[in-house]
Amino acid sequence: MPPLQPAALDTATEARRRFNRRKFLALGGGAAAAGVLGAALGPQAFDALFSPAAAARGATRSPRTLVLVTLYGGNDGLNTVIPYQDPAYAAARGPLAIDPSSVLALDDGFGLHPSMPGMKALFDDKRLAIVEGVGFANPNYSHFESMDIWQSAEPTSPSGSGWLGRWLDATGSDPLRAVGIGPTMPVALTGAKVQGAAIPTGKLLLPGTASQQALYAAMAKATRGEPALLAGSASADANLLVVDRTLGPILNRTVDSDPLHVKASDSVALAGSSAAALAIANGGGGLSSGNVLATQLSIVANLILAGAATEVYSVELGGFDTHAAQANTQSELLTQLDTGVSAFVDAVGATERGRETVVLVYTEFGRRVSANASAGTDHGWANVVLVAGHPVKGGFYGDPPSLTNLSEGNLVYTTDFRSVYATMFDQVLGVDPKGFLGGTFPTLPLV
Amino acid sequence: MSASPDPCALLLRRAGFGATMAELAAARAQGYSATVDALVAGLSQPDPGADGIALPALTPPPADYLQLKTTDPAARRAVLVAARAQTVALTNWWLARMVATTNPLREKLAFLLHGHFPTAVSKVRFPSYMYGQNQLFRTLGPGDFDNLTQAVATDPAMLIWLDASSDKAADPNENFARELMERFTMGVGTYSENDVRAAAYCFSGWTIDLTTNSFRLNLRQHSAASQTFLGQSGVNSGQQVIDIATGSDASARYVPCAFWSHLAYPVQTDDVVVADLVGGYSANRNVTALLDAIFNHPEFTSAASRTGLVKQPTEYVVGALRALGVSGSDVLTGAAGLQTTLADLGQVLFDPPSVGGWSQNEYWLSTSAALARWSFASRLAAVADISHVADAPIAARLDAAAELLSLDGWSTTTSTALRRAAGDPETLLTLALVSPEFVTN
Repeated sequence: MPPLQPAALDTATEARRRFNRRKFLALGGGAAAAGVLGAALGPQAFDALFSPAAAARGATRSPRTLVLVTLYGGNDGLNTVIPYQDPAYAAARGPLAIDPSSVLALDDGFGLHPSMPGMKALFDDKRLAIVEGVGFANPNYSHFESMDIWQSAEPTSPSGSGWLGRWLDATGSDPLRAVGIGPTMPVALTGAKVQGAAIPTGKLLLPGTASQQALYAAMAKATRGEPALLAGSASADANLLVVDRTLGPILNRTVDSDPLHVKASDSVALAGSSAAALAIANGGGGLSSGNVLATQLSIVANLILAGAATEVYSVELGGFDTHAAQANTQSELLTQLDTGVSAFVDAVGATERGRETVVLVYTEFGRRVSANASAGTDHGWANVVLVAGHPVKGGFYGDPPSLTNLSEGNLVYTTDFRSVYATMFDQVLGVDPKGFLGGTFPTLPLV
Repeated sequence: MSASPDPCALLLRRAGFGATMAELAAARAQGYSATVDALVAGLSQPDPGADGIALPALTPPPADYLQLKTTDPAARRAVLVAARAQTVALTNWWLARMVATTNPLREKLAFLLHGHFPTAVSKVRFPSYMYGQNQLFRTLGPGDFDNLTQAVATDPAMLIWLDASSDKAADPNENFARELMERFTMGVGTYSENDVRAAAYCFSGWTIDLTTNSFRLNLRQHSAASQTFLGQSGVNSGQQVIDIATGSDASARYVPCAFWSHLAYPVQTDDVVVADLVGGYSANRNVTALLDAIFNHPEFTSAASRTGLVKQPTEYVVGALRALGVSGSDVLTGAAGLQTTLADLGQVLFDPPSVGGWSQNEYWLSTSAALARWSFASRLAAVADISHVADAPIAARLDAAAELLSLDGWSTTTSTALRRAAGDPETLLTLALVSPEFVTN
C-alpha cells in the first residue's frame, strides 16, 4: 500500500499530530500517534513505528488488541454456561432448563449452551476463559443503570465517561485508538475529552471533490469558547477525516473479501442498510436478518489483519431481554455470538499481531434464577463473562455463585467486574489499571 | 453568531421540524407568543398538510396467525414478508407527514412520544399495530397523560413489545411492570422491587384478541389477588396500577422532565426548571398545558436551550427537507435513500434499539453519523432548489444560507470555511447543512 497523503488537511490538525507523535516518541506514552501514522503508512511502516512503543512499554509485554462485545438486554448466563449437574438448576428453570444430554459439557459440572459448538472448541483448545459470578455491590434491575455501570465502571458516582474513554483521555488524543463499528458510539469508549471513532459497516467514501473536502476540513474544528455540542459536532467531523485517511483504504479494499465469509449484503438485504439490520437484531431478534455481529467482527478482523493499530474495538448484539419465550430467541442469538466470535478468533490467528487479540464478552446483568410463567426470565444480577483469544489461558475463573443461597432470587456476585477490566488494562492494553477504575482491583491470571 | 438570536426560529425547530423562510417570516410577523398559541392550539386540530399523504395499505395479522406456525408455515412466511414491505411503506408515510405537516407540534409530539414509549416493529412484526399506536400519539397524546398511558398500555404494539401478552398469573413476568415505572411514568429509583412484583401480578392475563386485534383480559391467567402498590392497598388491576403510577408525585416530576429534556436541554428531575413545571402539570396531567408552559418558560429561549440539543437524525433530515422546500410527495419518491440515511445515522423510525429508545446529544455525534450527514447533504444540495442562495450576490450568500436554514448566523470557523465556498452555491449549502450550527439546535 503506498503512503497516503491527506488531500487536504488543515495545518493546525497536522501540527497537533506531529506534536503528539513527538510527545509519544519522547515519553513512550503508548501507541497513540503510531496508530494514526502507522495505519496510514501500511503494515511494514507501522511495525517500524510501533517497535519503539513496544520497547517503551517494557520488553516482556507484547502489545495486544481488545475487542469488546456488548450484549444488550441482559443475556441469561445460567443458560449460557450451564451448571447442568446442580439439581437446583433444573428445579429453578423447569421447562427452560437445558436438557443435560444436549449441554456441551466442559468440566466441573458446567457446560455450554448447545448453540455454542465454536466456543466449546475454543474452550477445549484452552483459548476461552469463563469468569463466573461477575457483578457488583448494590446491583439494580434497570437495563440502563446496569449498562451504564458496566460501561462507566463507576457504580456509585458516574461521571459520564466510559472505562475505556478515561484511558483514551489519559493516553492521547487520537480517536482511532478505539473504534466502534456502527452508527453510534457506546459510552464505554467515550471520554471527557476524547471519543473513539465509529465506522460504518459499508464502504467509507467521502462525498465531493478534493477541494470540497478541503473546505469540509476547514470547517471541522471547534471555535474557541464554542458551546460543547457545537464543538463536539466539529470534532466528530474532524475525526471522520482521520478515519477516512487511515482506515478508509483498508475498509474499502476488504469490504468485499470477508475473512469470516459473511457477506455484508446478506445481512443487510432485509432492511436496506447495516444500521437497520443492527436495530432489527436489537429489537428482540424477531426478524432474523443474518449475523449482524459477525458482520461487525469481520470488519474488525479486516482491520486487524491489515495492520491497523487501533487498540480497542467495540461491537454489539442486542435482543437478549428474554422475559418471554426465551428458548428460541436466546438460541438464535447465542448462535450468532458463537459463530461470530469463534470465526473471528480463527481469522485473526492468521498474523502474529492478530494472534495478540483478546475478545471480552459481557452484558448488563444476568437473569433471575427461577424462570417466570411466560417461559422467560426476568432481570437478575451476577453473570458470566467470556474472554476468548489466542493469548487467553482457557479455563474457569472466579467462584460460581450458589444456586440456593440467593438474594431476592438472584445470583450473588463473587468477582467485582472491575477485576475483569483491571485484567484487560494490565494484560491487554499494558497500562496500570489504577487510574481508570477508581480503586485497586485484583487482576485475574487469564491472559 | 449574530447578536440577535431569533426565538421564533428556535420555537419552530423545537415545536416542529424547522420552517421555510416564509413560515418563519409569518411567525415573526405575529410574534413569539402568538406563534406558541397557534402551535399549541394545533394539537387539537387536523393537519391538512400531513393528512394529504396517503396511508399505505396495512394488513392486520390473520386471526389464525398463531396457529400458522404449525398448520401452514408457508402462509405464515408470506404474512411476514408482506408485513416487512408494509413496514417500509409506513415508515415512508410518517417521514413524508413530518415534511408536509402544516400543524407541526402535533406531528412533533407523535415523534416525541414514539421516543417516550419506544416500541419496535422488529418484535411487534405487524405495521398495522405500529400505526395504531402512532395514531394514539396524535389523538390522545395532547390530552391527559394517564389516558394516553392507559391506551398505549392496552394497545397491541405495547402488549407484544413488553411481553404482556404472555403474562400469566402463576409467576408473571416483570417486563411491562418495570418499564412502565422506570421509563414511561416515574423514573428509576422512585419505586421498590415489591412494587414491580405487585404490578406484574396486576398485569397478568393482559393479552391480545387476534379476532378483533384488541386488548383482552384473560381471566384464567389474571391474578385477582389484592396487592399493595406504591403504598396503596387493594390494587388488583393493571388499570389501577397505571392510574396510581401516573398520579404519583414522582411522575409529576418525571413527565415534565422528559418533555423539557427533549424540547429544550437535558435536565434531571430535581432541576429548578422542572420544579417550575410540576405545579401546572400535576393539576390534571394535561400534555397540551405542559407544552404551553414549556414554550412560555423564560429558560426555553435561553442560550442554554439554543445550544442544548443535537438534532435527532429524523429532525435533521426532515428539517433539511422542509427548509429546502421539498414536498411530501417528493419525499415518497426519494424515500429509499432517505431511509438509508436515517439507518446510517442510527435512527430507524418504528424500530428503536431498545425500550430505552434513543439517547441524546453526544450519542448522535459519531464519526459514522458525520459521514452519513455529509453524504445526505451533498445529495440534497445537488437536487434541491437553492436559488435563494445562488441568486444572491456572492458577498451575501452566507447570510442567504443562514436565512434558508433559519439559523441565526455562523461561527467564525464556519463562516471562514463558507466564505471560501461562496462562489459555488451547491458546495456552500452542503457545508451549511453539515455545519455545527445546523447539526445542533
